[in-house]
Amino acid sequence: MPNIVVLVKQVPDTYSERKLNESDHTLDRESADAVLDEINERAVEEALKIKEASEGEVTVLCVGPDRATDAIRKALSMGADKAIHVSDESLHGSDMVATAKVIAAAIGRVEGVDLVIAGNEASDGRGGAVPAMLAELLGMPQLTHARQVTVDGSTVQVDRETEEGLTHLEAGLPAVISVTEKINEPRYPSFKGIMAAKKKPVETLTVADLGVDAGEVGLANAWSTVLEAAPKPPRTAGQRVDDEGDGGTKIAEYLVGQKLI
Amino acid sequence: MNFVESAERQALREAVAELGRSYGHEYYLEKARGGGHTSELWDEAGRLGYLGVSVPEEYGGGGAGIGDLAAVCEEFCAAGTPMLLMVVSPAICATVLARFGTDEQKKHWLPGFASGQVRMSFAITEPDAGSNSHRITTTARRDNGGWVLNGRKVYISGVDEADAVLVVGRMEDARTGNLKPALFIVPTDTPGFEYREIAMDLVSADKQFGLFFDDVRLPADALVGSEDAAIAQLFAGLNPERIMGASFSLGIARYALGKGVGYAKERSVFGAPIGSHQGLAHPLAQVKIELELAKLMTQKAAALYDAGDDFGAGEAANMAKYAGAEVAIKAVDQAVQVHGGNGLASEYGLGTLIGAVRVGRIAPVSREMVLNFVAQHSLGLPKSY
Repeated sequence: MPNIVVLVKQVPDTYSERKLNESDHTLDRESADAVLDEINERAVEEALKIKEASEGEVTVLCVGPDRATDAIRKALSMGADKAIHVSDESLHGSDMVATAKVIAAAIGRVEGVDLVIAGNEASDGRGGAVPAMLAELLGMPQLTHARQVTVDGSTVQVDRETEEGLTHLEAGLPAVISVTEKINEPRYPSFKGIMAAKKKPVETLTVADLGVDAGEVGLANAWSTVLEAAPKPPRTAGQRVDDEGDGGTKIAEYLVGQKLI
Repeated sequence: MNFVESAERQALREAVAELGRSYGHEYYLEKARGGGHTSELWDEAGRLGYLGVSVPEEYGGGGAGIGDLAAVCEEFCAAGTPMLLMVVSPAICATVLARFGTDEQKKHWLPGFASGQVRMSFAITEPDAGSNSHRITTTARRDNGGWVLNGRKVYISGVDEADAVLVVGRMEDARTGNLKPALFIVPTDTPGFEYREIAMDLVSADKQFGLFFDDVRLPADALVGSEDAAIAQLFAGLNPERIMGASFSLGIARYALGKGVGYAKERSVFGAPIGSHQGLAHPLAQVKIELELAKLMTQKAAALYDAGDDFGAGEAANMAKYAGAEVAIKAVDQAVQVHGGNGLASEYGLGTLIGAVRVGRIAPVSREMVLNFVAQHSLGLPKSY
């Protein structure tokens, strides 16, 4: 009966134009539609699969502004049982270390956690380090980049896939897992799930509630600072090759010139 | 008054839109052009409870209203995956049975409507009784404690996909001897019942049929509810049909407008996106305004209906059906125009909609009959027919 905490994050929709605030280079949340990060849907799906195989309970944990409740509701409508929402103005601009500390403190509020499941990397910040930091802070083994997860009694096995190859890992519970987009296909919330979500308990906490020192979080206390940000320049038009019977040769010459072949 | 939909309905819309988009308009066209049906999408939507949102909870449904079902219908259309049978099966048939069916009928049919496993067509139109439902000639006579049904129906949607057809017929009033309407459930495999596809110049995954009832023997419990409730049953079913018809049109209008706007932003001629020219921008803006107005009226009609005001919902439902159909025709027309020649190329997924939206001006009730209704009932003008 694993007790699972799933980390979810509300991010700007990857289909909309994503921007940083000009003043402090933090995310401009007003400029884009906010959605539950797709990788988190997969994390929720994996937690629900494990729960359905052996009962247990799934708690959704989200650190984010008030409107992140929409992302939490989505996870609850998929079938998670309850949620913790850490919402505090002072968290604005927190770096990954501070975020991991806050998440670790919030996980400490859930009794008897067996598994923490996260996405391997959020689609906005793309730091990809929070799961590892969190494992360190919680003193739990970390099994990151999982494309398959098997819980067997008090152990968990993970197929870890990175660009370097495939690694088969095993660890004792409790443990922190992060999943890749190959892990599963997330379910659509059923209508009953949507209707049930509004009745599920959501505990809203502040940094003070968690006993985290306010001097450790927020933009002013981040270990690094963004000095400047500029969007990628648009791609240039490229070079056009007209085929006058020697198109293949010309393309080969171009590629040789670029030292590509 | 509240002009914002509940958080649950918004979440429902998002979930349905996501499911619809995962199939996409190409899936729909492939099925429609190949003579197939969107069964995979229908079944998945059914399993998720999207088709059964308005079926009472005690029968496994969502226990919500027509407003929610209409939102589902609209979102599937807006995703490019319209499901015409939604207008008929869960909206008319399930509603009529939930409100007027006997306990046995409810127990037999409603769980299937809740899960989408049951599909039921609705047959009212006849060759000689189109808009004039008083001239329906499909007639049931009593026979050995059951019924014998004879008659014809035309332009009945999705009969080949359906388990049964809800047939509007007439029967003899035992006291007066006059004919009065009555609704019968006819399973599609009943002996004596035949249906033939009507060749249509439409690209639709749901086909049209002509129905033939030749001494079709039905058990006593084929009659829906009690003998004297047919008029109320029709009212209960036809308002949801108009609301769903409006939502169907609105969804396609949204799909077309989205296509048109997307193209107007991307396509660049004379050094600027064509959407920067008011000749193209203003008609799209007009469509947007008319779409929002039609949607508002549809939501009003659904809210009145779900509040139990059948009569009040009638006017709003008619107006919504009218406005939805008109804006859908305009939206598709403008989206095609914005696309130029591409608007009629198969690749761009707009051409087949020209015919599809035209249906909304004709069915389930013609534009002219809606105008008659408004002239007579809303304005108090003399009856014209």
